[in-house]
Amino acid sequence: MEAEEFHDSIRPGLIAMLPRLKRFADLLVGERTEATALLRRALHFMLAEQHRYLQGRALDGWAFAEIYRQWLAELGHHADPMGQAKVDEARFAELFGDDGDALTTGFLASLPAQQRLTLLLIYAEKFDYVEAGRVLDISADTIATRLVRTSAIFADRLGATAQPQGSADITALFPQGGRGSS
Amino acid sequence: MTELSDELLVAYVDGQLARKQTHAVEKVLEQDDVIARRVKALQDAHSRLEAAFETILAGEELVVAKPEHAGLFVPWAAAVKIGLAGVGLAASLMMMIAGYGWPLSLPDFARSFSDLNDPGYTGSIAPSWRETAARAQGLLSRESLEVGLESQSNLDLIAVQLGQAVGPGLKLPNLDRDGYRFVRAQLLRSGEERLAQLLYLGTSGAPLALYGMKSGASEAPSFKRYGEIGSVAWSEDGISYLLAGEAEEPALMQLAARIRSGPQTAGSEGAKADSPTPPPLPVGGAKP
Repeated sequence: MEAEEFHDSIRPGLIAMLPRLKRFADLLVGERTEATALLRRALHFMLAEQHRYLQGRALDGWAFAEIYRQWLAELGHHADPMGQAKVDEARFAELFGDDGDALTTGFLASLPAQQRLTLLLIYAEKFDYVEAGRVLDISADTIATRLVRTSAIFADRLGATAQPQGSADITALFPQGGRGSS
Repeated sequence: MTELSDELLVAYVDGQLARKQTHAVEKVLEQDDVIARRVKALQDAHSRLEAAFETILAGEELVVAKPEHAGLFVPWAAAVKIGLAGVGLAASLMMMIAGYGWPLSLPDFARSFSDLNDPGYTGSIAPSWRETAARAQGLLSRESLEVGLESQSNLDLIAVQLGQAVGPGLKLPNLDRDGYRFVRAQLLRSGEERLAQLLYLGTSGAPLALYGMKSGASEAPSFKRYGEIGSVAWSEDGISYLLAGEAEEPALMQLAARIRSGPQTAGSEGAKADSPTPPPLPVGGAKP
């Protein structure tokens, strides 16, 4: 009965955050159907292995990390992991329904899954760099680097759209071409 | 022109800088249009990304909120009760054999999670027969078909087989005196747990079922109705029970009380000695 009680202790939390977990899986996989399947498998694992959850750690961070770990493990078993990790832009855009702007969805679709998740964890989930790093099993510095790189690239694209001629001044800010190269 | 790195500007836009650094950057912004445009672009990027992520979340919240199907993690009692409530016990049992796939979408998962506390039955939306069948299908395991309860006429033998599978405390009551003859038993599942099902028939009407699953806690009998199906749930001696059938509360509570006060296995005590009932049917209604 103890195990059952403990089991029940994480279920309500997982229920409450299901939409957030699904969003995480959506952005990881790049489309809804596979994301649902991934989330289902991950949740099965979480419930079966709930003893791995350490009291005191934020449940959302733990759950995100488990989904990511599940995805990585499955990717590793695939014959063409790189091919599997690519997303179909049209199906990715479906995640946003009719409300997504093409520039943003196209940009997100072009990013590697780990970078999409970095943006999600920091900008939407409001995680700090350390906790986001724990989810993706990387350092806080790497999180910061990814964040700067992707933000800068996206800002460049937005700037290019707004000002087709570009700006020599902006280029001059990065004489070594450091932006976007880390 | 001042040179400020993107690292610094992103940190500024994200509100990660200390107050002193923030003031320093703001001072530069007042004087340098290039930096100001860069910050504006970063802010625009930031807000577009936030909005995009919010859009996905809003969509998922809508999807999860739609309670359309049965779920993955339905606790056995809830699964049994919900399955039985839709079209009645007889139809559910028949459809269990049909072999429909389990609906596995996320809303299913959300719905089933919310069933964990067995909320009150509303019955506002009648499930389709496919839904009911699919829910019932979730109770079947390979063992349901592979474990042989060949001698269905011998309650003692069934008790041994089910007792080994579910737990030694499992009761297999004889309800002949109450007008219900034992027909057959089978082994189902709830997730990874084994679930015994004993089926009885009265002189008329739908079957009566007694379900038993291993449990650690004792619980007093409580009645609950799910549409046409009445049920009494309780736990004793390490086994959690659910008695379900198309009967009224007093009758089911009385049956539950009799089962609780009776011996663990009633086969030798009643079934053979004073049973006026015909021989039980084979498993699945047909002999192999």
